[in-house]
Amino acid sequence: MSNPQFARRPFFRRRKTCPFTGPNAPKIDFKDTRLMQRYVSERGKIVPSRITAVSAKKQRELAKAIKRARNVALLPFIVQ
Amino acid sequence: MALYEHIFIVRQDVPATAVETLTEELSAIITENGGSVEKVEQWGLRSLAYRIKKNRKGHYVLMNIDAPSAAVVEMERIQRINEDIIRILTVRVEELEEGPSAMLRTREDRDDRRGRRDDRGPRRDDRGPRRDDRPRNDKPQAAEAESKGDAA
Repeated sequence: MSNPQFARRPFFRRRKTCPFTGPNAPKIDFKDTRLMQRYVSERGKIVPSRITAVSAKKQRELAKAIKRARNVALLPFIVQ
Repeated sequence: MALYEHIFIVRQDVPATAVETLTEELSAIITENGGSVEKVEQWGLRSLAYRIKKNRKGHYVLMNIDAPSAAVVEMERIQRINEDIIRILTVRVEELEEGPSAMLRTREDRDDRRGRRDDRGPRRDDRGPRRDDRPRNDKPQAAEAESKGDAA
């Protein structure tokens, strides 16, 4: 806003970074349902990383955690 | 010895005291086979995300185990026989978590998390496209506003 260089470009989109990298990033844990819920759609599907900006390495880890959470009924397989 | 996180779900109509005695029995199996149970967490009666064997709720128990694989295999075998246990999951981990797990933690700090979202400033990419149809005269105006501010 204060920087005129950014304000002039019409559709400026900030480059999003992976939410699981960097200092004080949350640890991917299948028991953390509230964290997992953020990366699952309303239907219960895993949200692709191009939308959530999770890095490929962390997305693999996240997908595995979500599948584990589904197994113990912490997350749904499908929401009807 | 390997480290494991182990979760099992007990049917909802089993009383909570029975669940506790059951977890004690299971941890006894681990210790008999040369392992140790580092931590036991009772998450209590939680609603399941989907129905398992007609159950909508279940008692969740988490155990952090440091034991040889044979002990875990034996415990899982006993658990499969017991009909009150509707689901088990064992995950091998590099290190066991200290303190309460994420499940118990989120209940406590739910309130401070909610506040954090409001503290964030406005997001830059939320703004609509700029209007280019009118001449750009915002600079002189801004200068005026500044001079007014100085006068006041």
